[in-house]
Amino acid sequence: MASKEHKIGWSRRPGYAPGFLDPLLRPTSRHHAGLLLFLVCCGVAVVGAFVIRDLQTASAEAQKMYFGSVHGLQQIGELQYYAQETRRATLYALTTSDSNLQVEYADQSRDADQRVKDGIAEYSRQAKPPAETAVASRLTRDWTNYLNVRDEVLASILEGSTKEAVSLDLSGGVPAFELVRRDLNEVKRLYDDDASQRLAALVASSRRSAWRLIGILGFTFLLSGGAVWAIQRSRMLSAIQLAKLQMEFVASVSHELRTPLAVLSSAADNIADGLVEDKAGMRRYGAILQKQSRSMGRLVDEILLFASTEDHKNRYRLQPLEVSPLVDSAVNSTEGLAHAAGFIIDREIEPGLPLVIGDAPAISRCLENLISNAVKYGGDHRRIVLRAYSAPLERGAGGEVRIAVVDRGIGIDPPELARIFDPFYRSPRVQVAQVHGTGLGLSLAKRIAESMGGRLSVLSELSAGSTFTLHLQIAKGDGSQPGATASPPAESSRP
Amino acid sequence: MRRLTTLLIVLVLTGCPPSNAGRAAVPESEGFLEQQTGTTEPLVIVVNRTNPVDNLSLAELRTIFLGGRSHWANGRRITLVMRGPGDPERKAILRDVCGMSESQLKTHFLRGLYSGDILVTPKTLATPAGVRKFIFNVPGAIGYLRISDVDASVKTVRIDNLLPSDKGYKLHAQFQVANDGE
Repeated sequence: MASKEHKIGWSRRPGYAPGFLDPLLRPTSRHHAGLLLFLVCCGVAVVGAFVIRDLQTASAEAQKMYFGSVHGLQQIGELQYYAQETRRATLYALTTSDSNLQVEYADQSRDADQRVKDGIAEYSRQAKPPAETAVASRLTRDWTNYLNVRDEVLASILEGSTKEAVSLDLSGGVPAFELVRRDLNEVKRLYDDDASQRLAALVASSRRSAWRLIGILGFTFLLSGGAVWAIQRSRMLSAIQLAKLQMEFVASVSHELRTPLAVLSSAADNIADGLVEDKAGMRRYGAILQKQSRSMGRLVDEILLFASTEDHKNRYRLQPLEVSPLVDSAVNSTEGLAHAAGFIIDREIEPGLPLVIGDAPAISRCLENLISNAVKYGGDHRRIVLRAYSAPLERGAGGEVRIAVVDRGIGIDPPELARIFDPFYRSPRVQVAQVHGTGLGLSLAKRIAESMGGRLSVLSELSAGSTFTLHLQIAKGDGSQPGATASPPAESSRP
Repeated sequence: MRRLTTLLIVLVLTGCPPSNAGRAAVPESEGFLEQQTGTTEPLVIVVNRTNPVDNLSLAELRTIFLGGRSHWANGRRITLVMRGPGDPERKAILRDVCGMSESQLKTHFLRGLYSGDILVTPKTLATPAGVRKFIFNVPGAIGYLRISDVDASVKTVRIDNLLPSDKGYKLHAQFQVANDGE
């Protein structure tokens, strides 16, 4: 029946269309989904950092260009102004015959021409392209020529030879200054060209940034959408898988209950029909009824216990415990089951083991589940070893006590190792082999171990056997002094 | 009418107000006496830095300052630069170089311009800085400054092969001492 249920499968249920990515998403657990979301967040953060850096670069370039433009225009404007001022002050000297005023105008002209010289020198220093260098040298030369004429004009004005000064200015000053004016216009034109190129570069850079931003946002959107879709899909698949497992569980439980019920019913019918008359027959039937009813009781207990541990809350009373009584208790509880199946249970307990922290009934229950599991899948070797020993912690300093349940049975497929502790999970191989079970035993054992601060691990090789190990914490301050003895499992200490 | 116009131009260029024209021939010995008390400082004859002249005799200097010479040896026109009337440096030049009083100098230039013998009229500047700047701007300019007013913008000329710091240098100006000692 389990095999039939498995063949029906979740992928053929109505209302669900399987996708080609489902095989990838199917094993995705909540951790995988969380990891995916974390990766998306990291991706968004990295992308955000790139976007911010891009915007900052664009802003810095714009500011640099703005300040460069303002400064450059100011320099060119000052150059033009002081060139005009040089000439203007010279001509003002013509308007007066007062030598003191003429000297003042000459002074103003010389101040202005010094500023022009400084401006030209600055421009020459900054000139990089050949065109700018050529203009700079031409401007220097033309300005020097004009100043030579200006000096002669000033000298004539100060000497009182106004006519000669005017003649000199018209013949030499005007053409020389016209050349300077052209050079300055050329400087401005080159600057405008350069500014246009820089503006074009900035616009192109801004456009690139915008496209990059759009691309990044689109990519982020797609990635986020994909992640959300994957998470939702994974959850849906998990839910479907859980539903499937639960259905299989219900089927298994029904099967497990039906078998003893059928036996009970048959035995009761036989007794009622008077087929059992002698005492020996009655005793035999009584034993059958007792066995089947206990089997049903254990099954119901296990289901109830699993249901009560579903919320993962720690309901155990933890205390220092001696290991040996715990092992004995578990072996004693399962001895009947093992003997019935023809199994021998060996105990190998390391002497002087320290006390462990735990709840005695819970540890016994955990070990019983592991022993039952070993009996079910122990194969033909029919030998189980319970080994208790101390060992160093795999991570960090200190040690722990390990109780290993070793069998030489059918083993577990490596791909299934990650799932054997999932609730309701039963290997397709054992379902096909019609090994009865609910798929809760190992899950319950794992929950018990973790609730006590321990853990459960497994090593297995197909067709060679399995070793389930319960890792228990050592009680603090314990040397090897026994603190408390294990008591048999009690209902009151169950979760 | 033409003579009157020429007279007015000369008066303007020499810095003399028209009201003083009537008493141009009056000696101003009182002014000399007033300046006899105070400190003495060498007076330096300065020219434009491009002027090749390094030395002048006192006689040559007198000829130049009285307008008897119009061009330098290099062909540049000579431009006389003087301080305003009443200035101690001007008085020293009038006394030690020209050998004239203020009014005699005015009369000399009026007569020379009127007759056409003098082609150069002095330019009058109000401050030592103005004198320096004028000489710096005009290649043929010649003027005078106190030694403390001389800087690198002008060139100092020896007089009779003597620098102002040399013993026997003849040009000195006397200045009144203020109450605070300056």
